[in-house]
Amino acid sequence: MKDRPDESTLVAYHYGELEGEELAFVEAWLQQHPEERHRLKEWGDARTILSHLPDKEVIAPPIVVGNNHRSFWKEGYVRMSLGIAASLLVVLIAARLLGLSASYKAGEMRIGFGTTAPAEQPLSEERVAAMIQASLQQNNAAVQTAWEQDRKNLEENIRKNVLSSSEKIDALVRNVSIGQQEKIREFVGQLQADNLKLMKDYLQLSADGQKEYVQALLVDFSKYLQEQRRQDMQYVQANMSNLQQNTEQFKKDTEQILTSLISSGKTETQRSY
Amino acid sequence: MMHAEDLVTRARDGDPLAQGKLMQAWYKRIYNFGYKFFFDHDLAMEVAQKTFIAMHRNIAFLQEVSRFRPWLYTIAVNCCREELRRRKSANAVSIHDLRPGEEEESQAWEVAAHRHDNPERTLRQSELADLLSACLRQLSEEQREVVIMKEYEGLKFREIAEALNISENTVKSRMYYGLEALKRILERKKITRETIGYEG
Repeated sequence: MKDRPDESTLVAYHYGELEGEELAFVEAWLQQHPEERHRLKEWGDARTILSHLPDKEVIAPPIVVGNNHRSFWKEGYVRMSLGIAASLLVVLIAARLLGLSASYKAGEMRIGFGTTAPAEQPLSEERVAAMIQASLQQNNAAVQTAWEQDRKNLEENIRKNVLSSSEKIDALVRNVSIGQQEKIREFVGQLQADNLKLMKDYLQLSADGQKEYVQALLVDFSKYLQEQRRQDMQYVQANMSNLQQNTEQFKKDTEQILTSLISSGKTETQRSY
Repeated sequence: MMHAEDLVTRARDGDPLAQGKLMQAWYKRIYNFGYKFFFDHDLAMEVAQKTFIAMHRNIAFLQEVSRFRPWLYTIAVNCCREELRRRKSANAVSIHDLRPGEEEESQAWEVAAHRHDNPERTLRQSELADLLSACLRQLSEEQREVVIMKEYEGLKFREIAEALNISENTVKSRMYYGLEALKRILERKKITRETIGYEG
């Protein structure tokens, strides 16, 4: 035996699920180990506290519980068979009341209500072929007649349409020709009038321009002459002024020369004495 | 429990009346198991419904009638785990996860009301229930399964081992660590026998 109980043994002891020697061993061991006894007491306290979490009250949802022992008449196949039989019965009764009759003879199925009419004489193969042939001939004749009539109508219509169209085209051409001549005349007249107007305008503009040009030329020439005269006058005045200055200078020079000659004559006279 | 075993026998033999009565008898237990696992009314209802549908389909294969209780809890645990996986894969967050302790209202026919209870006492019980719910939610999934089965469903360790398809020693070991964890959580939340003494 081990010297101490393991975890599982302690838990089993705590929940009272130990017996015999194991129980005695754990109790003796706990006597010697009060701290472990205290631990078990704490578990007990925890469990007591946990016990204060109550169950939720809940009611199971309502369920419908069936019974397995169904009667023979409630079995599915029995009910289906009875349904089919009842339907057939209803059909038979209705057929009886309405006088329904059905027969099959010589490849012919006949269903009827009440008294049935006698059957017509059956058609033979030759008779059917003759009927088809007659029908075809009649149909061909009708088609031929209709075709001839349509052809005639078509030719007549084409002839009428051609004549009518030709007349209309001639009239249209004439109208167009007349209209075009008039338009050409109008156009030429308009063109001539426009040209005349343009020429007049051009000539008018040309005469006015020349006049203005000559006037401007004369004015410019006059201004040029005046300017030339003014410059000539200034030139003459300048030359006159220079001439005057030169004359005065010449006069001064002459005076100085005369003065110097006079002075030098006096000196020579004195020396000779 | 001859009467209960007889009911299980008849249910196993295909008697729908017995199956209905069996469901009526066990519905509250399975609902509360689911509720204490998820603390969510809708999920608990879902688990209960799936459990009893599976019971109806598979009870014919039950070998021993005396093992009906662990067999039924096996189905319930599997339903809880399946729901948990589905929620994890869908990354679903319920309102209860966001605001733990606030339980949604149930339909009148689903949850019976305690009309004659003292309102103050009812409020205290409700607050304490919220606290204890929060404590249980802190346990690991494995520990929570074992603690709920043992403390609230009253199963024996052998039955729990059978329901979870593990050894009895593993069940006891999970219980050991579950109780240790609960003790620490309660200490941390300062919940003692004295603090809830007025409830006793």
